[in-house]
Amino acid sequence: MTDDHQDDAPLDAAASLALIDAQRATVVHRAEPSPTYLFTVWGLAWLLGYGALGWGSRTHDGPPGALAGIIFGVLLLGAAVATGIHIARRAGGVRGPSARAGAMFGWTWTIGFAAVYLIMAGLTRAGASDPVLSLAWNALPAFLVGLLYLAGGALWQEMTMYLLGAWIVLVAGAATLAGIPGNYTVMALAGGGGMLGAALVSVILARRRRGLP
Amino acid sequence: MSAGELDPVIHAPARLRVVATLATLGPGDEMTFPRLQKLLDMTGGNLSTHLRKLEDPGYVAVTKAHEGRKPVTYLALTPAGRRAFEVYTETLRQIVRGATP
Repeated sequence: MTDDHQDDAPLDAAASLALIDAQRATVVHRAEPSPTYLFTVWGLAWLLGYGALGWGSRTHDGPPGALAGIIFGVLLLGAAVATGIHIARRAGGVRGPSARAGAMFGWTWTIGFAAVYLIMAGLTRAGASDPVLSLAWNALPAFLVGLLYLAGGALWQEMTMYLLGAWIVLVAGAATLAGIPGNYTVMALAGGGGMLGAALVSVILARRRRGLP
Repeated sequence: MSAGELDPVIHAPARLRVVATLATLGPGDEMTFPRLQKLLDMTGGNLSTHLRKLEDPGYVAVTKAHEGRKPVTYLALTPAGRRAFEVYTETLRQIVRGATP
């Protein structure tokens, strides 16, 4: 074999196993979406965004003002864009059943949020009061996020994601019971905090998988 | 146990890394050539050479497709390639277990 390079010299068994493990770790690192990154991005967006809404509704003594709404919108849009870029970068260049499942899961979010928007438009038209609309705007997206984390956790067998989903749907319910403006505090601290907690757990699990303390 | 029992097609660092990378794909999934090249940090020519050696015994399937007007090459382990990799890693584990009593 004349075209073989020096790096073709056979390794011993232990070195070969180490090479397989190292290459697998490289693929996980470069080609799989990082739950730590995504939970951190969304955790911060919720903590600061819902924090702004809570602050806005306290200073106005009613529904959050325009500035709080803008801060919230920018933070959540930013998190959505960061998520899209991250997943496109990591998952690009692969086709087949799992890429299809990932794309369908991605569309599920878009379709789900479109439905939330339609429901809210319908409630507004039917003459729902401002407090009811505020509570529903708060609860429905969070409920959808929690359910999709539950579904994604079940689909990819990601226990951290599944438990976070269970936590988020319950937070959506608890926030609605808390009423305005307590709901925003619940969303910021329990919701955003829960996501940051899940980020921490996924860091610890990833380190443990790599055999680090 | 001797190294002679290890599949010589896979038992070379560069090809081992190629196969280990493709083995992370789910059944039926395929990866583009540039994507695989990036995950391996290999030159295109080097990767092509090793892919040919993996294609000859039927371990790797090469599919040429078109996305728009751009030709795209997709790569995947065949069922035979996946089996060969499993046998290879199992043999490695047995050798390592045998060497450390």
